Amino acid sequence: MAILEAQGVTKRFGGLAAVSGVSFNLGDGEILGLIGPNGSGKTTLVNVITGALSSSDGDVRFRGDSIRGLASHEIGRLGVGRTFQIVKPFRNLTVLENVMVGALFGARGGARALSEARRQAERVLEFVALAHLADASADGLNVPERKRMELARALAMRPTVLFLDEVMAGLNPAEIDAAVVLIKQIRDRGITLVVIEHVMKAIRDLSDRIMVLYHGEKLTEGLPHQVLNDPDVVAAYLGRRFAEQSHA
Amino acid sequence: MLLTQVLVNGILLGGLYGIMALGMSLIWGVMNIVNVAHGALIMLGAYLTFWTFTLWGWDPFLSLPVTIGVLFVYGYVLQRFLLNLIVRAQLFLTLLITFGVEVVMVNLARIAWSSDLRQVSPDYAAANFSVRGITVPYVRLWVFCATMVLSVLFLLVLEKTRLGLAIRATSEELRAARLTGIPVAHVYAVTFGLGAALAGAAGGLWGMLFPITPVMGGALTLKSFVVAVLGGLGTMMGAIVGGLVLGIAESFTATYLGPTYPNAISFGLLVLILIFRPTGLLGRRG
Amino acid sequence: MAGDRIPIALGAAALLILVATPGLLSPFLVQFLINLFMLAALAESWNIIGGFTGYASFGNVAFFGVGAYATGVLLTTAELPFALALAAGGIAAAVFAALVGMPILRLKGHYFAIATLGVAETTREIVYNLRITGGGTGLTMPISRSPLPFYYLMLSILLATTLVNWWLSSSRFGYGLIAIREDEDAAAAMGINTPLYKTIAFSVSGGLAGLVGGVFAYWITFIDPEGVFKVSTTIQMIIMAVFGGAGTVAGPLLGALVLSSVSEFLSTQLVSLAELVNGLIVILVVLFMPRGLAEMIRKRQFSLRDFARNFREYRV
Repeated sequence: MAILEAQGVTKRFGGLAAVSGVSFNLGDGEILGLIGPNGSGKTTLVNVITGALSSSDGDVRFRGDSIRGLASHEIGRLGVGRTFQIVKPFRNLTVLENVMVGALFGARGGARALSEARRQAERVLEFVALAHLADASADGLNVPERKRMELARALAMRPTVLFLDEVMAGLNPAEIDAAVVLIKQIRDRGITLVVIEHVMKAIRDLSDRIMVLYHGEKLTEGLPHQVLNDPDVVAAYLGRRFAEQSHA
Repeated sequence: MLLTQVLVNGILLGGLYGIMALGMSLIWGVMNIVNVAHGALIMLGAYLTFWTFTLWGWDPFLSLPVTIGVLFVYGYVLQRFLLNLIVRAQLFLTLLITFGVEVVMVNLARIAWSSDLRQVSPDYAAANFSVRGITVPYVRLWVFCATMVLSVLFLLVLEKTRLGLAIRATSEELRAARLTGIPVAHVYAVTFGLGAALAGAAGGLWGMLFPITPVMGGALTLKSFVVAVLGGLGTMMGAIVGGLVLGIAESFTATYLGPTYPNAISFGLLVLILIFRPTGLLGRRG
Repeated sequence: MAGDRIPIALGAAALLILVATPGLLSPFLVQFLINLFMLAALAESWNIIGGFTGYASFGNVAFFGVGAYATGVLLTTAELPFALALAAGGIAAAVFAALVGMPILRLKGHYFAIATLGVAETTREIVYNLRITGGGTGLTMPISRSPLPFYYLMLSILLATTLVNWWLSSSRFGYGLIAIREDEDAAAAMGINTPLYKTIAFSVSGGLAGLVGGVFAYWITFIDPEGVFKVSTTIQMIIMAVFGGAGTVAGPLLGALVLSSVSEFLSTQLVSLAELVNGLIVILVVLFMPRGLAEMIRKRQFSLRDFARNFREYRV
């Protein structure tokens, strides 16, 4: 059984449909790559699934139960986590304290005691290689460090499914490679991942399957090499002409 | 014909509320500053009108341009050299500082001019005329006309002049405005000056109808909020429409419920609007 | 945590002195201290919603007033013993805050601040128009001879509010509030029930302010709407918390201590200028020390550069 099912998810803002009739199944333990040009509705889809936005139509099921209409904190508690495209650090707290919030309030209500949360947070920071910055202010980090803290916070929630929204944006090639390794390690811990990215090399390397969104609709989905060579997908990103040229 | 009389009273008062709110709405819309000292600016305008009338015999309508000018300069200086320093701070800090300014202004007024009630009473103050059983004091009518003229003038400045364009551009997108060479610090100061000028005019007109004291501004600040939010923040027409609505509502409340109720109704209205329709009557949704 | 030991020791010592000495102090000093305890307790109570949760309420005087009037009415009309009347006053204020909070806490930024201001003003007007509260003529309490009971009462409430703040600073609930302040969307995504937490914080903040109000009513013996629902009371509690350090435990205490001492000193020297100076203090604190004393003390630096740092961040 799929761990997460989306059926006809639609989100309208006034007359404009940002997401329209998107359906997909997420298999337990897989990494699903989610790609599409800017404005195709990827982040909106994540916002709807995680409860940050209400859906206009359609249903989302987690482990068979509908989570449509639940508040984002309820969905977080059930075990569906996400990172934000533009990171949202708790600036006046230290890195450790940031991650502790995830541990305190995460899946199934999180840890009750601060000491337990601190222990869990320290372990997560070790895992993402940020332990050396545990007591640093969350305000002074550089881009890759901020991204890793955002990731650590989400991991501290002990999610079953994790949506990573452009985690690699702003990283240089070496940092991207390190991120790919880290994400695979996350999957090895049993977490199902949906990775939204524009970095094609990383997506191809990571994903078991890829889904493509275009103008709010699902364009196609399938195995990486199939999807990435699909002329419709190339056309969506680069325009018809390049798609035809690449097959000439 | 009590109903019509109450309606007319409300409309005449509403015009005044409208230009009060116009000044506040402008400053709020452009710089995201909620000016709690707005009422104090109104009070200053009222006192200016009073003193020019009492000391030099200037007719209160004719001294309006002077009041407007003085308040504009005052507002410009206040924004340029004080408020510009914290304009990008968290919202509640800017709110807090304007509270401080209000306390300072009110207490300076109290020290300088005492708390005695003042009134501007030109010879024509008591004259009125009747139309079909409805009595209209001339002063109220002229005050209303003055508010309409000022509103139109102000809207023209905002829509048709280069300055108005600069103000509107700065409010839309601060960084972009800067990049196109607009001197933002100056534009902000001019905006506040305009808002203060409108408040000063409102004060001068108010002083012809009601008693003037150093503490008169508090309630007026809140009423300006109510009108600004009611009409829709940032929409100038909204301030005028909102002013009329509040004026009429207060008139009916005072007549049919009692003179101590209008304030409760206005403030209660504020809270209800913020809860149910924060964009106001004419504001855009979201 | 080791760093806390000195402040805690200092606080305990101060508490001991305050508890043991009132009989030795002049009546003037006792009244000053009661007023100080009251303002400090109000600042600490505001800190819960304003400092920790980041929702700067400009209307907490409404809850102070509801507590004062609820206690006052029960004391005079229902002739309840003071302890019961006070408890009821606090509960009434807390319930009122929860009811008002539910719709209002959905608002953000300026809209929330003004809504709270509107609530305070509306509450005053309603109290003014009700007969049971004595309307415009006010309520008179039974006279009590000695100020000492009020001294200890206010001190106890101050202690209670400070302990609540202390608990918040190292509890799961407190972390939740801080997360809401720092980034509400992220906090919700992390599993924090933001509407519930905000309402609880607002209600506790209001309830504590209500307790202060109840004691105030009995102490001052006569209350009327104008005297109780003063906007200046809200501003005082806010500026004291901000000056001392909003979001810290000791900040509001420090702020209340310093500012009310300065204010008291000035008002004896320059009677008519006292309020004026209070206004100037507000302006100066916002310009130069928006992060408050506590931050400066924690960093152990007092360089002029820090004062000017705000300008670069905040100016246009």
